[in-house]
Amino acid sequence: MDETLVEFIKRTIMKIPITEMMPILKAWDFLSEKQLQTVNFRQRKESLVQDLVLLCEERRASIHDAALLDIIYTQFHRHQKVWDVFQMSKEPGEDIDLFDMEQFKSSFVKILQRALKNVTVSFRDAEENAVWIRIAWGTQYRKPNQYKPVYVVYYSQTPYAFTSFCPLKSNMPLLGQALTVASNHHKIVKMDLRSRYLDSLKAIVFKQYNRTFETHNSTVPLQDRTLELDIHMDSRIIHENRIEKERVQRVTQETFGDYPQPRLEFAQYKLETKFKSELNGDILAERKEPLRCLIKFSSPHLLEALKALAPAGIADAPLSPLLTCIPNKGMNYFKIRDK
Amino acid sequence: MEWANDGKSKGGVLAHLERLEIQVNRSRKNSEDLQRAQAVEGALRTKIHKLRCLRDELRAEAKQRQARIKASAANVEPDQTLEISEQEVAERRRENVKAILRAYRFTGLSGKLTSRGFCVCISTAFEGNLLDSYFVDLVIQKPLRIHHHSIPVFIPLEEISAKYLQTNIQHFLFCLCEYLNAYAGRKYQADRLQSDFAAFLAGPLRRNSLCNLLSFTYKVELQGQSVPFCARLRYKDLTTTLPTDVTVTYQGTDALSPSWEEQRASHENLFFSKPLHQVFTSFARKGEKLDMSLVS
Repeated sequence: MDETLVEFIKRTIMKIPITEMMPILKAWDFLSEKQLQTVNFRQRKESLVQDLVLLCEERRASIHDAALLDIIYTQFHRHQKVWDVFQMSKEPGEDIDLFDMEQFKSSFVKILQRALKNVTVSFRDAEENAVWIRIAWGTQYRKPNQYKPVYVVYYSQTPYAFTSFCPLKSNMPLLGQALTVASNHHKIVKMDLRSRYLDSLKAIVFKQYNRTFETHNSTVPLQDRTLELDIHMDSRIIHENRIEKERVQRVTQETFGDYPQPRLEFAQYKLETKFKSELNGDILAERKEPLRCLIKFSSPHLLEALKALAPAGIADAPLSPLLTCIPNKGMNYFKIRDK
Repeated sequence: MEWANDGKSKGGVLAHLERLEIQVNRSRKNSEDLQRAQAVEGALRTKIHKLRCLRDELRAEAKQRQARIKASAANVEPDQTLEISEQEVAERRRENVKAILRAYRFTGLSGKLTSRGFCVCISTAFEGNLLDSYFVDLVIQKPLRIHHHSIPVFIPLEEISAKYLQTNIQHFLFCLCEYLNAYAGRKYQADRLQSDFAAFLAGPLRRNSLCNLLSFTYKVELQGQSVPFCARLRYKDLTTTLPTDVTVTYQGTDALSPSWEEQRASHENLFFSKPLHQVFTSFARKGEKLDMSLVS
């Protein structure tokens, strides 16, 4: 087997934590049960990896087998990548989309290979009619770099595709074209939405984050949720600003709902606006050019943090619509200019 | 103490007269006050009297009513131990109505008023099996708008709402019902094929999100031999649960005998006319001979 391939397999297996070794190898389904039984999984990691690599060599693993293992590792560790979202569109009045996964895959590969001979494309089908695509880019003269692949997750018959951050930006237009044509769309546009949490991005664009609906079968009526402050408090404690607190609770509940918020790590606002000041003769207000500044909110869970701001007394309720529109508009990158 | 004889009698008389005048005025005032007080007292006395009479009347009436109730209770049979109060009756009626409202979802289209508008529940079904429910939460404003929903992203909700939501809400809901029920039906058939008839499939069932393109290879026992076929079903009409295009091709390496060709053609017809899992049920049942009367 090719030395570079062996090295690549070795490094890929090395990344896998010991606790995940068995489930990932089982999902890979490349090494047989018999082979796996011969391996001692309790030895030191380096020796374990050596044994596994030898088994792969025995079975004559190809670059595609190795790429598949890489996809599975990434699926287990999807939070290690930062994901962008692309939105595709069709011309109006198009025929019904009879999406054929095999056709999509072969069309996708053809388009890439026509433009770039040196490219490794691998697919792994996932739940809900989705496919994970791994692309390792090369150039006309160099073989594909297996250590800097791009991943694309696409759900059939939807206009959205999720791509992991690609350091080789020049290949993105080609990737976009391949996706668009293979999935029977006409245009592709990058959305201003980015996060590590792929499942949250999916929940946002597919509008799956709010699952609470009022029906006669549900038992919790929305109006009956009295102020939670009262339930656990000692009756000797009197609440100051009770009315205001209840108003804040109500407004927060109307804006954010009762459901768990999708998980994002930041929201970024690029402002290009004229400075507005109440003081007359303020130097900044006299500037003719707009001020440029960048405001970034970061949090382990941004939307839950925003939801907690008003009840904690840190911000006024209702919050600025620039903050609360994030899941609705599917954006966490904003450019604000004077109208 | 400068009382002269004259001064004594003058000061004394005038002062005395003044004193007498004051006394008269005072006594006059007192008698007026007394009269007023007596008048008020009289009025209050009559009022007290009236209230006492009223109280006695009410007491008498209350006694009468109690006596009446006792009398009627005494008339009731000793077996009737249940005394259903009015409140209980109302409670029972309320529970009944609530249960009916909950049962409405079995009609396929039900809804509930919300603070902003109403929330529609579309419960899909296929062949008498209740499948997934989908919701559309509508806000009553001009224009009517969808607040949020649980319709899958590959159902053309935007198209349907652009066409009908503002002009004909009934049509909007029925159209959405059609699409969702058809999708649920196609999905049900594909799921059933994968789970119940895996033994017939020679490879994985290829499908997409809308379940409007299904592709699979299957084997059927014909004259003691296992004959492989490949079927490709296209559902171009998203409101139906039966395919619009069917192609069945023979996958074997041997030459296709005329009887097998007949089978192939009949399979095509079957896939056109019957739901997928029913076709396979008939394969399972009939084995070698396919009853042409199945084709409706």
